[in-house]
Amino acid sequence: MNASSIEVRGLSRTFHTTVRRPGFVGGLRSLVNPDRVPKHAVSDVTFDVAPGELLALLGPNGAGKSTTIKILTGILTPTSGEARVAGVVPYQERERNARNIGAVFGQRTQLWWDLPVRESFSILRDIYEVPKAQHAARLREFDDLLELSSFWDTRVRHLSLGQRVRCDLAAALLHDPPVVFLDEPTIGMDVVVKEQVREFLRHQVEERGRTVLLTTHDMTEVARLAERVVLINHGRLVLDGTLDEIRRKFGSTWQIRATLADAHAEVVPLPGIALVRRDGPQVVFGPEGTEAPTVHQALKQVIERYEVTEVAMDEAELEDVMRAAYVQAGPHAEEI
Amino acid sequence: MAALHAWRAARVTPLGELLAPPRITAALLRLTVQIVLVASLWRGLYSQTGTTAGLTRDQAVTYAVLAVLASRLRELDQYAGRDTVLQHMHFGTIIYWYLRPLPPQRYYALRAFGEQLYGLAWALTGYAVCLAAGVVEPPKSPAVGGVFALSMLLGQLVLYYVMLLIDQLCFWTLRNGAAMLILIFAQNLLSGVYAPLWFFPDWFITMSRFLPFQATLSVPLSIYVGRIPLSDAGVQLALQAAWVALLSLFTRFLWRRAARRVVAQGG
Repeated sequence: MNASSIEVRGLSRTFHTTVRRPGFVGGLRSLVNPDRVPKHAVSDVTFDVAPGELLALLGPNGAGKSTTIKILTGILTPTSGEARVAGVVPYQERERNARNIGAVFGQRTQLWWDLPVRESFSILRDIYEVPKAQHAARLREFDDLLELSSFWDTRVRHLSLGQRVRCDLAAALLHDPPVVFLDEPTIGMDVVVKEQVREFLRHQVEERGRTVLLTTHDMTEVARLAERVVLINHGRLVLDGTLDEIRRKFGSTWQIRATLADAHAEVVPLPGIALVRRDGPQVVFGPEGTEAPTVHQALKQVIERYEVTEVAMDEAELEDVMRAAYVQAGPHAEEI
Repeated sequence: MAALHAWRAARVTPLGELLAPPRITAALLRLTVQIVLVASLWRGLYSQTGTTAGLTRDQAVTYAVLAVLASRLRELDQYAGRDTVLQHMHFGTIIYWYLRPLPPQRYYALRAFGEQLYGLAWALTGYAVCLAAGVVEPPKSPAVGGVFALSMLLGQLVLYYVMLLIDQLCFWTLRNGAAMLILIFAQNLLSGVYAPLWFFPDWFITMSRFLPFQATLSVPLSIYVGRIPLSDAGVQLALQAAWVALLSLFTRFLWRRAARRVVAQGG
């Protein structure tokens, strides 16, 4: 019996892509003698996810998150390293792994476009061989949490995005998988539905004990749901820890937001205080280095150094922390 | 076996059609117009002659009308349901085919089976109406009818594999619209939907023998109208079975290769 629901050890995946040479002659040469270059999508990534844990897998676009999820869902075979999901090597036993996992990939629906939602649920029930009584009980549970019954007799093509994603979440969990992969599940949804989905996910983790691996660019979601975060960039694992650890390592534990009287005033860093962000007269300061001042000391310094019309202090937003983490993880890392 | 329990997947496309009455009305209208026009055309062509290319007027009309009915067997509107392989590749939803405990090839086969059964219901209804109205002739004997049914079954299997082959192309080309247009034209021309193959020049008939298309429709319909006598039917059935075996092996090989392409194209 494995202690972890998801085990990833030294996982690497290299793709080979064909690079077209520039120009007409180059294009012809590429046809005859294509230039194949390796791209390391994932390099030596190692992490574990415990049963009943929700882990956020974060990173900028192209960091290797989706490739990692595809290996864990059995779609892709790693170049080296190994992975186990609920004790199964997913790329060696894809069908067995499929019974242990549920997955939602952003706005890509697995529901049948032309059929009412409940028909889709019934087809999935048959594919996963779920007994009818269990199926009905789970539908009732999901309906209580996601309010599906008001639209589950509607054809999928007529659902709103929020309705469809809620149905997709239910569809992914109808066979009661212990492990769930969610790739940006709330992208494009309004705040009300987002909160409903988050509540649903919390319930699945806390009450049902499911293991959830979540990728998202929504830091509010991370702050509200994730106990632990794995950060990858350029295919490499940058950090594996709790949100507090990330804040300590990459981000400020406080922020000072000030509005300068002179929108064009030059802002120079103060000792132990970094300029985190500037938008015209709006500036945000945070601590820098290990000898950073307390927030009150910093506030005093800022007010003494600059003429400000408004000032507020608070804890740093997670998005700023993650931005700092991405930047520190690689000189050419993208913005989140 | 998930495949046994997943029979409901076979209902997807027919159910999608049944839930969209305008699509059924349009299909009915199109089929009626096609049959009326095709029957009129061949009757007109035979107005000055009794026998052409070895076929009597009634044989030719029967062949042409049956060809229209048979072409209905796989003519369902998957595109409207965003359910073609091409669309799944385009939207990236093909990934879900590989996340279920039902192999994609079995899921595809179940879907096609459901579609062909639904199409068969249409074709049989149309056949009964045409038979009652005297538009088509019945088979010459129960034996001809039986051999025709067997040949039609093999022909539908060949057609299934040909269409599967084109769908599998999506894994490599992503866009297979051009291939599909070529297939539809080749299928209609070389299988004898537009006109029986005996009306074409010898070189065309020789070429079509090396392709699977005539095994889909031309062979069973020729058996039905008596152009292929029962004494020669065995060879034709064996050829059809050979095409089924060959295409089955090749498409099985392609499914294995296609699985490696899912991420590159649809992930």
